[in-house]
Amino acid sequence: MAQVTSVMPVAKMVGSNRVIQGCGIVHVLGDPDLPPAEEKALRQEVLLRAFAALENEAEGS
Amino acid sequence: MRIVHYLNQFFGGKGGEETADLAPHLQEGAVGPGKLLEQVMGEDAHIVRSLIVGDNYAAENLAATTEWVLDEVRTSGADLFVAGPCFEAGRYGVAAGALCAAVQAELGIPVVTGMALENPGVDLYRQELYIVDSGSSVSAMREVLTTMAGIAVKLSRHLEIGAPQAEGYLPRGILHDAFVEQTAAERLVAMVVAKTRGHAYESEFTSATLPDVPAPAPVADLSKARVAIVTDGGLVPKGNPDNISPYAATNWGAYDISDLDDLEGDHYEVSHRGYDTRYVEQDPDRLVPVDALRDLEKSGVLGKLHGEFISTSGLVNPLANSRRLGREIAEKLKAEGVTAVILTST
Amino acid sequence: MQLTLAYHAISDMQFNAATRLEGTTLYIDQAALHHYLLEDRRLAGVETDIVHPGEACRFGVVFDILEPRAKAGSGPDFPGILGPMEAAGQGLTHVLQGAAVTVLDAAAPLSGGKVVEMSGEAGEACPYSPLHHLVVMPQVAPGVERHAALNALRLVSVKASVFLARAAVGKAETATATEVLDLAGAAGAAREGLPRIAYIGQIHSRQRVAEVDEQILYGANTVGMVPVLLHPNEWMDGALVTSYMTRGVETFFYQNHPVLTELYRWHREGKITFVGAIATMAGSDNEDRPRNAMLATQQAKWALGADGVVLTKYGGGAPHADMALTAKMCEEEGMRTSVQVEDMSRDRRAESSMLFHYDEVDAIVHVGGQGTSWTVPAVERTVAPTPEVAAALRASQQLEAARICGVTSQQGAARVRSFVY
Repeated sequence: MAQVTSVMPVAKMVGSNRVIQGCGIVHVLGDPDLPPAEEKALRQEVLLRAFAALENEAEGS
Repeated sequence: MRIVHYLNQFFGGKGGEETADLAPHLQEGAVGPGKLLEQVMGEDAHIVRSLIVGDNYAAENLAATTEWVLDEVRTSGADLFVAGPCFEAGRYGVAAGALCAAVQAELGIPVVTGMALENPGVDLYRQELYIVDSGSSVSAMREVLTTMAGIAVKLSRHLEIGAPQAEGYLPRGILHDAFVEQTAAERLVAMVVAKTRGHAYESEFTSATLPDVPAPAPVADLSKARVAIVTDGGLVPKGNPDNISPYAATNWGAYDISDLDDLEGDHYEVSHRGYDTRYVEQDPDRLVPVDALRDLEKSGVLGKLHGEFISTSGLVNPLANSRRLGREIAEKLKAEGVTAVILTST
Repeated sequence: MQLTLAYHAISDMQFNAATRLEGTTLYIDQAALHHYLLEDRRLAGVETDIVHPGEACRFGVVFDILEPRAKAGSGPDFPGILGPMEAAGQGLTHVLQGAAVTVLDAAAPLSGGKVVEMSGEAGEACPYSPLHHLVVMPQVAPGVERHAALNALRLVSVKASVFLARAAVGKAETATATEVLDLAGAAGAAREGLPRIAYIGQIHSRQRVAEVDEQILYGANTVGMVPVLLHPNEWMDGALVTSYMTRGVETFFYQNHPVLTELYRWHREGKITFVGAIATMAGSDNEDRPRNAMLATQQAKWALGADGVVLTKYGGGAPHADMALTAKMCEEEGMRTSVQVEDMSRDRRAESSMLFHYDEVDAIVHVGGQGTSWTVPAVERTVAPTPEVAAALRASQQLEAARICGVTSQQGAARVRSFVY
């Protein structure tokens, strides 16, 4: 599991192992200020980082 | 007051480690520390039965031991169940805690036990029981029993149990609000000045560490993996068919996305009160990224996007609840062949 | 920066032909006040009522509570909202002490909405129950969007506050008490060796996106803002009002900020040097949490030269993370910290209420909250914008501490403490 969140300290505190920074509490995988195509690209970028975490050893493990 | 007392083989006078396999043994009346307990509690208290079980036996046959204990307590007409005190003895403490918890839950009579802080039974049962802080020295037996008796009497009379320090039990981790003289501001300034000066200060709260979660091994080949989306941001189909509560949710829902290339705001709503939900309502992919994941599936980066996304609300959700929800979700996804999860959190 | 507060004790408040202060009685010309408030065309009407301490009365839903204060020529009143863009925190401010302006929001949902409880056990816990309240119920005109309605309520709140306090202008000599707020001498030799203490306080949480026309700091809505040095006098003299996210906060406790007041007290007593304050906010966007934490820490360390810092948060649960991260960074820079937390959990378990864990952030004040509630009795009198809300408030009901203004104050006024049992 990889977790995408904007409140990383809490995720880490409860022991989540692969935590990726999201784009904001109210739009964790998006940005309403971007045009749709760019927003989707941003979404994909965050997901690819999550995938990278999934494919690698968890930090500190 | 009729009392049933649980002891291990050593305190029950049966022998040391060599008799740790002792099968459940019933003795009428008080044994060993039980006699001292009767003394401390006064004339009206009688231990009607002593239940003696070897530490190994109890550890290896907890279910059977529990049944036996419940039966004995039930048929004895006891008003109170006492276990130990166990001091540092770990198997004893774990058994005592389990048995007290069972008696409390099944029979509804007051229960009390005593252990040293380091006893593994403490972490397991401190939230459910009053575990007197016995320390590690058996020579404190009389004081420990006196403290246990004090709590036992209060429980029997349905009196309020005060602060751990005052009553002698190990803090249970339950928050208790009270009104105090000083405002929070006065307390904040006094505390920071003390800390800055290097003087002693007493924090009103100590956050304990949560246990580590072992990290699963990396996904070997994402291009062959079945990936599922789970969210705690509360996205649900319009109408919230599973009635997922916007806070302290006790259930989760699984929602079909097998034919979808993206999520449309008109078909969903958000059951969560902890964040401004308008952006997710406009485009739910901002929380449950079906559109981007579908693209990544089509381009072969991931093997398969699982046909459902799972959703609940993480807002002010008690940890005990969240742990259960997580376990249930994990079990379901695992059974459905999911090998990787993206969890999105607000 | 020197601010003189002239306190005028208020022991009675009445509607009367002319607004004036006679002794300790405040007379309010209701018609003139209404006329003044209704200059804002977004309002279709307004009702006002007076509630006295000791009455078996309950009112809500509260938008905000302000202390009547006015400067009249010695500076701006609520600059950026009502007054011109000039610095607050200096000159002379008249304070009607013992009075409050409480604005009710007719469109706020009753469920979870804040109320003032004036009597009984819950009333004793409510810091606003000893005050004489002018309760204002603006009626927003149809078609006015919610953000504009809120903006109108905000304007009503500051206008009413100033209108009332203007009655005290020119009466400085008859003030009941005077107080001078001045951090001068902070660098003096007499203060060598005293701990230098600063305050870092959140003034908004981006859990709730601020409206374009939401006025918080000198009228700015704080969008895009980073932490800023803000003199305690400015905090308490109209530079700051609450945002529309009002959990545990009222503007009254910016004007009478408990932490700033307490730091001033220790400063005056020569026990610390109060070096200043920083206003910050809880983040929501990528990177702004660590950025804000870092900037606030930098300012405390290098601009204020603090040895110790008090921190409080604004809003709900997630802002604890911002506060804790800031505190951790302060500790790493050699500044000792104390932080104020509240209980966000529902199960009363300490482990559930814990929203951060840094070893260095170990001086914690816990104002609890979730475990305190009262079964309040039915009351004789309620003041509310609609008959439905009035009827709902009148009945006996269970009121959680968080719903009664000031009880679980996030600004430091709370007398609740959470113990771990």
